[in-house]
Order: sequence, then C-alpha cells, then structure tokens
Amino acid sequence: MNIDDLVTISPLIACVLTACGVLVADLIAPGRTRVAIAIAFGGLVVVAAAVVLVADGGDVSAFGGAYTVDGITTFLDAVFIATIGLTIAFAPDYLVPRDLPMPEFTTILLFALTGAMLIAGSTDLLLLFLALELMVLPGYMLAGFAKRDALATEGAIKYFLLGSFSSAIFLFGLAFTWGLSGTTRVTGVTDALTTFAAGGGISIGLAMGLAFLTTGVAFKIAAVPFHYWTPDAYQGSPTPVTGYLSVGPKVGAFALIIRLFAEALAPLAADWLPVFIGLAIVTMTLGNLVALTQDNVKRMLAYSSIAHTGYMLVGLAAYASGEMAGLEGLLLYSLVYAFMNLGAFAVVAALQRRRGVTASLSTFAGLGRREPWLGLLMTLFLLSLTGIPPTAGFFAKAYIILAAVESADPWVNLLAVIAVVNAAAAAFYYLRVVRQMYMEEPAAEQTALSHGRLLWAGLAITSVFTAFFFIFTGPVFDSIQRAAQALAIT
Amino acid sequence: MDAILPLITFLPLAGSLVIAFLPRDSTRAIWTVGVGTALATWAVSLFLLVSFDPAAAGFSYEVDIPWIPFFGIDFHLGVDGMSVALVVLTTTLTWISLLASIGPIQTRIKEFTIAFLVLEVGMTGVFLALDLFLFYVFWEVVLVPMYLIIGIWGGANRLYATIKFVLFTLVGSLLMLVAILATAFAYQAATGSWAGAFDYEALRGFAAGGGFEAGFQVLAFIAFFLAFAIKVPMWPFHTWLPDAHTEAPTAGSVILAGVLLKLGGYGFIRFSLPLYPDASVDLAPIVIGLSLIAIIYGAIVALRQTDLKRLVAYSSVSHMGFVTLGIFVSVLIPVGALGREQGMQGAILQMVNHGLITGALFLLVGVIYERTHDRAIARMGGLSAPVPVYAAVFGFFVLASAGLPGLSGFVGEFLVLTGSFAYQPLVAAIATLCMILAAGYLLWMFQRVVFGELSDFLRGLGHRLTDMAPVEVVTLVPLAALVVVFGIFPGLLLDLVSITVEEVLAAVGPAIGLAAGP
Repeated sequence: MNIDDLVTISPLIACVLTACGVLVADLIAPGRTRVAIAIAFGGLVVVAAAVVLVADGGDVSAFGGAYTVDGITTFLDAVFIATIGLTIAFAPDYLVPRDLPMPEFTTILLFALTGAMLIAGSTDLLLLFLALELMVLPGYMLAGFAKRDALATEGAIKYFLLGSFSSAIFLFGLAFTWGLSGTTRVTGVTDALTTFAAGGGISIGLAMGLAFLTTGVAFKIAAVPFHYWTPDAYQGSPTPVTGYLSVGPKVGAFALIIRLFAEALAPLAADWLPVFIGLAIVTMTLGNLVALTQDNVKRMLAYSSIAHTGYMLVGLAAYASGEMAGLEGLLLYSLVYAFMNLGAFAVVAALQRRRGVTASLSTFAGLGRREPWLGLLMTLFLLSLTGIPPTAGFFAKAYIILAAVESADPWVNLLAVIAVVNAAAAAFYYLRVVRQMYMEEPAAEQTALSHGRLLWAGLAITSVFTAFFFIFTGPVFDSIQRAAQALAIT
Repeated sequence: MDAILPLITFLPLAGSLVIAFLPRDSTRAIWTVGVGTALATWAVSLFLLVSFDPAAAGFSYEVDIPWIPFFGIDFHLGVDGMSVALVVLTTTLTWISLLASIGPIQTRIKEFTIAFLVLEVGMTGVFLALDLFLFYVFWEVVLVPMYLIIGIWGGANRLYATIKFVLFTLVGSLLMLVAILATAFAYQAATGSWAGAFDYEALRGFAAGGGFEAGFQVLAFIAFFLAFAIKVPMWPFHTWLPDAHTEAPTAGSVILAGVLLKLGGYGFIRFSLPLYPDASVDLAPIVIGLSLIAIIYGAIVALRQTDLKRLVAYSSVSHMGFVTLGIFVSVLIPVGALGREQGMQGAILQMVNHGLITGALFLLVGVIYERTHDRAIARMGGLSAPVPVYAAVFGFFVLASAGLPGLSGFVGEFLVLTGSFAYQPLVAAIATLCMILAAGYLLWMFQRVVFGELSDFLRGLGHRLTDMAPVEVVTLVPLAALVVVFGIFPGLLLDLVSITVEEVLAAVGPAIGLAAGP
C-alpha cells in the first residue's frame, strides 16, 4: 500500500469519515436532525468532489489491481451519491413525526454508500463479496428501522434471512470460480476462463459455480423467481427506506453484475446469456402482472420495481450478446430509474407525514385538487415510470429497446417486444394512481399538509431531471458512452 | 417564415403555460387565453395554408435542429400538401372544440384548457414531424391529455373507457417504437453511420433504393400497421372507439373523431407505404379485406345503435374504412392506370371531410345533450318544431355524412370508389353497399330524432329545450361552409394533396411496375 492507493480510494475514505462524523456528532449532542443532515450533505459534497478528482486522473488501479477506477466506477458512484443524497433529503418528513432517529438513519445510509461505491470499483472477487455485504447489511437494519412496527420487523427478518442465504449461495459460487481459475482477481479470472472456453465447453464445477453466482445475484436484484422477499420488505419498511431499497441495493447489485458477469465471466457469456434472457422475461412479466392487482401504492411500486429489474436485464442481455448499447442502456436506466423512482416514493412519504396515513390507493384520492403540486409531480414520475415521452423514463426504455433490436441474437430481439408489451400493461397500474388523484373523490375531506423545504428541494431536483431530461440527452448519452468504454467489446 | 412550423406547434404550449399561472377562479381569463391561443394558432396555420406552394416537391418550411446528435436524431419539421391540410383541420377543430366547451365544462376549467392545448401540440407535432423519433414523441404526447380529458370530464363510465383507450393505443404505439428503432438500426447497419438514421427523408431515400430486406419490411410494416390500425380504428381493433367516444365530453369526441383517427391514416401514407413499399404491396390485400369488413360492419352496427354518440362512433368506423381502402387499393393498381392516384387522393379527402362532418355531428349531439342530458334516440322525436335551426343544421350534416353529392363527404368516397373499381369491381361494389347502409342508419336516425310528434320526454323539458345559442352557431358555421366549399370545389383540396400522392405512390411504384410489366 502506498499513498497513491489511498488517493485512489479517497472517496471511500471520505464517505466512512462522514458516517463517523455523523455518529460522533450524535454522541455529543444526541438527536439533532439538522446537524446530522448538514454533516451528511457536507460529506457527500466532499465525496463527490473526491470522485471527480480521482476520475480526472484517468483510469487507475490500486492495491495490486483489487480496486479500479474506470468510467463505470465513476458513473455508478455518481448514481449512488445522488441516491443517498435524495434519500436523506426525503427522509425527515416521514421519520421525524414518527420519532425515528434521523442521525442513525443517515449514518447507516452512508455506510451503505461506502459499500455500493466499493462494489463499483472492485476488481477482485473477495473484495466484491465484502463490498456487497457492506452494502446490504445496512439495508437489513434500515428495513427494520421502525422497530416497534410488526410489519417492519417481519419484512426486515424476511429480507435478512433470504439476503444472508443468498449471500452464502453467492459466496459458494465465488469459491467454485476461484477453485477453478486459481485467482480472485477479475482480470485473472477472465484469462483463465477464456482458456476454459476455448478448451471446449465448461466443466461441471464451473457450471455449478455459475449457477450459484446467478442465483445469488438474482436474489439481490430481486429477479423473479427470487423476488419473494421484496414486497414484504418494501411494504413494511418506512417509506423513505423503501425508496432507498428499491434503488440503492438494486443498482448496487447491478454494479456487481457488471463487474462479475460482464467483466470476469465475460468469456462464458454464451453460457449465462440464455439464463438471463429467461430471467428477464419472467421478471418483467410477473412483476407487472402482480403489480396490476395491488391496492397499496408501496406494494405496487415494489412489484413494479421488479418489472424495472426485468427491463435492466434486457440491457444486460443485449450487452452479453455483443451490443455495447446494452451496457449503455443499463447504465442510463439505472440513473433515470434512481431519480424517477425516488421521486415517486418521496411523494408517498410526503403524504405520510401525518402519522397513521397508509400508502393505500385511497390515500391518493383527490390529491390533484388537495395538493396540486404533489399531484402533478406524482403524475410526472408515474408517466416516466410508464415510459411516456418526453420524460426521462422514455429515453431510458428506448435506449434499452434499441440495444435489444440491435442484437444479432433473435431471442434478445424478442425481449424488445416483450418489454414494450409489458410497458403497455404497466400503464394500467401506474395510471390507476393518476386516476385516484384526478378522477376520484376522497372518502373523507382531508386538509393539505405542509412539507419540509428539503423535501421540496429534492422533489425539484428529481422532477426537473425527469421532465427536462430531453434537453440534456446529448451530454448524458455522451457520458454514458464514455463510461461504458471501460468494458468495450473488442 | 422559417419558424412558422415550430410556431404552430409550440404556440399552444405557450398558451398553456400562461394559463398555468392564471388564478384558478378567474375562469373568464382562462377561457379567453385558451380560445385566444387556439385562434392565434389557427391564424398562423391559415397563413401557412395561403403561403404554401402546392406545386412544390418534397417538403417546405423545413426546420432541422440536431437534438441527440449521436443517434442522428433531429428536431426536424416540414410540411407537404397532406400535412398542411391536416394541420389546418387540427387547428380549426381545436378552437371550435374549445369554444364549444365553455358552456358544458364547468369543473377544473384550468386543467381542461391546459390539457386541450397540450393535445394540440401533440397533434400538430405528429403531422409536422419528419424525424421518426420526434414523430413518436409527439404521437405519445397526444395520449396523456386525451386520457385526462375523457377520464376527468367524461360521462358515467369514463374510467373504463379512458383506460381502454390508453391501453389499446399504447400497445400499438410501443410496438411501433420497436419498429422505429429497428428501422433506424437497419439503416445504421447498412450505412455504418447513425447520421440520418431517424430522418424521414433519408430513410425514404434508403427504402427507395431497396435498402430494407423483405422479411424485415414485413415485420416493421406489421408493427406500424398495428399502431395505425388501432388509431384509425380498423376492424377488429376498433372496440375502444365506441366507449371512448361515448364517454368523452363533446370537445373530446370532436377531437377524437376529427383528428386522432386521422393520425392513423396519415401514418399509413406518410410512413408505412414509402418506408416499407414491398411489404405494403404484399400485405395490401389483407388490409383491403379488413377495410371492407370495417366499412360494412361499422355500418350494420350503427344501424342497431340506440345512443346518438355511439351511432356516430360506429359510422366513423365505417367511414374511416374508406380511408384505409383508398390508400391500399392505390398501392395495387398498376402504375399509370386510371384510379391509382384517385384512390389515395380520395383517402386524404375523406380524412379531411370526415373530420369536418363527424366533428360537426358530435358538436350537434353535444348541443342536444346539453339541454336534455340524454342521448337515447328512443326518447327523442319531433325536434323540428321546437328547435328548427338545430334541426336544419343537423339535417345538413346528416346528409353530408351520408355522402350527398354536392357536399364534401361525397367527393372523398367517390374517389375511393373510383380507385376500388379500377382495382377490383367487386371491392367497389361491396364498398358502395356501405353508402346505402349509411343513408339507412343516418336518415332513419334523423327521422326518429327530428320528425314526428314531439316526444313526451322532450315535451317534459318545456322551455329548457331552446334552439341553438349564437356561440353554438359560431362553432358550426365554419364547418358547414367548408363542407359546402369542398363539396363544390374539391379541386381546392385535390391540388393541395396531389403532389404528396404522386410522391408516395412513386415510392411504392417500382415494385408494381415490375409486377404489371409484360
């Protein structure tokens, strides 16, 4: 280890220090929400600056190639930082009236951010696993954050049990891979597997390893049929946590997939591609079908997030079949999904500022009249989640579909058709919320709530991004293409 | 002059932004700005109509600004004769609909006018876009305001109707998106560059050179076909239409029938035929078959309707069948033979005329609904005595819709029949049957509603059954005038669209020329 290595991981160090800072401040003066938020945002700015500075120096490796900063690292770091920042901005309106401690919430999130950023840069299988655990452990804590709430506890336990189970499976798969390739470095694994692939087919051991790894990550991204923990964990968690869980760990797990499957296991793409195509089909379709019948908006968004996982898997499949646009689409979708989904959850959280308000559909009845701004913003996010132009969600979907039609693999082409049919079906349940807001009358007259300034600021950012994305398509597409160059198909 | 097309598209958007900042309860100001914006847009479009040179080849007043340079996606607008005609139809019907809404719409006026103006942005954008990606964006922009217009201001069963409308449209349009992206990629793969991959003119040139292989053409044609056929709507994709029409507020029905249905016919002529000429020729017999079914089926079902709006809705299915029939018989008639151009000219004229006539019929149903809050034909009767002006205007448009010679409805159908006859006399014979049926259901309906004894239901309304108010007359007079003018001087419209028709048919020409050769 030398000083250059430390400079390379300076964003991670800054992130841990920020988390510790919030913790220490909370020890000195307990329960100060504003202090915690101020330190957190100050820290996030430093982290973001460090990411930019490190990225400016070009691609670098640290710790003997275990940690790498390339275009993908930087891009995903930016998505993660935005996700955490927005989550912190949206949380107080929900947590404070319920006497849930904001400083602890912030600290846990910052540790999760460290884990997520570490995944994005890991080029070593062991480090990948450690980073994964660092990201998901805070998630379990957050899911049970409302510890006196039975639903939250149930959701958290399910999440924890299935999560640790899948981690074990994943680790088992890593062991197989390591045993057969003799190295844990991603580049080494790639080389070893290239020889294997050239040697005609994969051995039984490698096939088992591949199966375990696939199962493990499928759990983490909540792909069908490994999604059963999602609806309970999402519905039970405090709403800002749900928003975070539906974005942060999911994009984090996709970062893992990019590092592991798209990079380390790339030589075996022909072997794992069919599995991912199948996963994409069932994930999109089942997520949407079940979302159709939900009466609770949080649960509906949980199932719809499963469907969005499916769309992202389409991008991955396109990439695996040899189309760069697939990886670019996956990155773009992660970014756009983070903003639009967090925005939608923020509106739900804002409505729940009054204690005892559930996230059932009827909560939204007459919202368009009661709180026109929230109604308008929710409509925007829902249209974007549906993929109606000119919102950001449309461009993300279009990019993924473009990648799928470019592919030379007819099955991936078929994915494009399945994806759009699903998107049309999704319109039904997203528009059901719009219908509640504008076309139904509330059962009982409710008064408008006041919302925190931080919440409005966060909503302003997410909504401007979602609504005016079409203006910035040029630069955003450029940066995505540059980021994806790190894993260019040669 | 260079900016006239963006002006037409975005003037309504500017108006809707102004309205967004007006206080909710100053309804007068909201209506003034709303109708004023629509009128201003109309004036600009009339200026476009006057200054447009119908003899110009290709597209005029083009605007081409790079939007997403990497993929060669541009903000590209342009007009030819067909789009000028349809844009003017759109702007005309928009201000008429808004004006006609002032009475009936009493809740959420602000949202209504905003939704309506955004709708106009989408509609004009669709007719002006010369970039496939941009076209798709505008195409979908139409969807959301219409969803809200039906869902918020519609009738009792509006929620069912509006989601059905959205789901039908979305399934078709998203498949079209896949086809658009696949088309662009096929172009990129062949030329090695994204430049022009979404550009209509570039793609058209590429297609003319036989760029798209046959199998791909069929798939892409089917995807586009679904989107357009659902919009038109062709049998068997029409089931959303009667529900949407019946539940929509009057203005919504007018726009739906007057403009939204035309998006489908426009799409066929603008995109399906020139981009996928071989597939168009190969699949044309199927489309002709479906058109004939729509023509007859729509007419027979209309005969059985007990609700005025539903009757007009099914008559739309029938009349729009002439549009698709005209377009696709033209494709199959050998180059140089009589009737080839007439079929497609008739289709475009039918689009414009159907917009005018059916728009007016929905307005008229709205007028009577405002007074009776009922649309059941069975409860009407004897309207000629208490409301003579209404009865006369209604009669005029009923005759126009039935295709009375001298009025515009006749011209389009006649030209389509000319084309059909040249293709296959039997097809023309079947289609002609529709004109008899149309006279049947329209005149029978008119007789039951207007003639005879005043029904007990209407008598019960007493003096609430007033004749047309001045504003209602104002909304109908321009439509009536145009119906007469186009009926007597169809050349005005024909001159406008003949170059478009020639160019489109030239694009699908070579395949036919070979087939018809010695």
